[in-house]
Amino acid sequence: MKKKYAYVLGILIVAILGYKSVYFKKLDEVKNAQKENFNFKAYADSIYYKGILKNNNTISFNDLIASMKSNSEKAFKEHGNRLGIGNSAFFMIHSTGKIIDIKDGIYSIADEKNGIIYIDTKYIFGNAIRDASGLVKLTDFKTNSQFNKVSESLNDIIRDKVIPQVIKSVKIGDSISFTGAIKLSKKQNLFKDIIVTPSQIKLQ
Amino acid sequence: MKIKHLSLVLLTLVLVFGCSTKEKSGKPKIAVVVSTLNNPWFVMLAESAVENAKKLGYEAKIFDSQNNPAVESDNFENLISSGYDAILLNPTDSDGSISNVLKAKTAGIPVFCMDREINADDAATSQILSDNYSGCVAIGIEFVKELKEKGNYVEIIGLVGDNNTWARSGGFHSVVDKFPNLKMVAQQSGNFDRNNAMEVLETIMQANPNIDAVFCGNDAMAMGAFQALQAAGKANKVKIFGFDGASDVIEKIREKKIIATGMQFPKVMAQTAAQFADEYFKGRRIFPQRVPVEVELVNASNIKDY
Repeated sequence: MKKKYAYVLGILIVAILGYKSVYFKKLDEVKNAQKENFNFKAYADSIYYKGILKNNNTISFNDLIASMKSNSEKAFKEHGNRLGIGNSAFFMIHSTGKIIDIKDGIYSIADEKNGIIYIDTKYIFGNAIRDASGLVKLTDFKTNSQFNKVSESLNDIIRDKVIPQVIKSVKIGDSISFTGAIKLSKKQNLFKDIIVTPSQIKLQ
Repeated sequence: MKIKHLSLVLLTLVLVFGCSTKEKSGKPKIAVVVSTLNNPWFVMLAESAVENAKKLGYEAKIFDSQNNPAVESDNFENLISSGYDAILLNPTDSDGSISNVLKAKTAGIPVFCMDREINADDAATSQILSDNYSGCVAIGIEFVKELKEKGNYVEIIGLVGDNNTWARSGGFHSVVDKFPNLKMVAQQSGNFDRNNAMEVLETIMQANPNIDAVFCGNDAMAMGAFQALQAAGKANKVKIFGFDGASDVIEKIREKKIIATGMQFPKVMAQTAAQFADEYFKGRRIFPQRVPVEVELVNASNIKDY
């Protein structure tokens, strides 16, 4: 009889230990837990319309290239924004030029002083605009996931609302002015094939 | 008789306090607690952290948490009672590891997280993390272009409880989900493990034989996916994308058998964590809570640089 109790006790202990040593999470539970109450859309709206569009801290593309050629370290420090550690930084630039080609959302712009620069109106993703603007700090958000959601909402405004309004009225041969983010690496010394992630395009 | 009793009391005191008091030698000791040593990437991260700590003049030892928060908890208890002065941690779980970090914090031991984030901004002294999201945005763009915006694909994610898993998946989907002709036919966990990913993809392909691409949350799983596709005779048809920058995947990109990966810099993260510990010992107390480390896209166009 005693043996029977010992077996039952043993099985109970093993079952409790087994239950406590592993745990399972459903994918849906994890995904739902990641949903936040914070209104990222409203926050991004405010950053875009009250911050980025009114930001006077953009540098002209001509001045940036000149500054890079004379002292790239200083140019990175004064005009670039790199969060954390890395070889590259984002810069918020403005420039003007004539549209000479449009292909798959890429607008080729002839810039009198700097040759051809490309505006990518299709792949407006990632942290280029958020970081180049310098308006959102990593410490403003508790996790990287929240910080990245700011970029997603900001990109949605530009990619789905702002840029489609402009590009339906521009064509090859038009002169435009534009503002946007570019990524430059400390390793690079040639400034060709520069791709701009636009924040604003205006027909001149 | 009195002397005998006194000796017994003294011996007891020595045994009790001698075992529970932290052993403090002159040189500070750094513990490197790593999620697993079953993956070469984490072996490199841990060994690099030890190497950097030793270069700075400290004793350092690796503790393996075997991808299990309970083992990690035991590791923390051991190293706290063994008198370690700082912990360079690669956490097992973004939520499950918080209590371990807090335990160390209560004991006055700074914790510097490497590569994996914990969901708290007041527990670790600093967190040095790959910018997984941005890296996977770049992979997502490459993915859309390679597939010409249409096709069926499979996503093999890493550990469900790890933030990196979701940061990578989130970055990838922030791009790919905007293209309605790209259809994800299955999303399953391969636990960041090569064999696991191989088996997962083999099972998925039984129900979905016509897939055009596989996105894997790390390179070990990308290699597992490659093996599964090779065994099924589909390695040349299905495009594979990974993440990490592991040497075998870099070779496969060179051979045009894998399309792209995101190059992480584990040595930079380990070096920064060891450097922060050194600065802490020298009196620095204010550190950035999160330090993102850039991830670089590696594909056929820039493979010569890697």
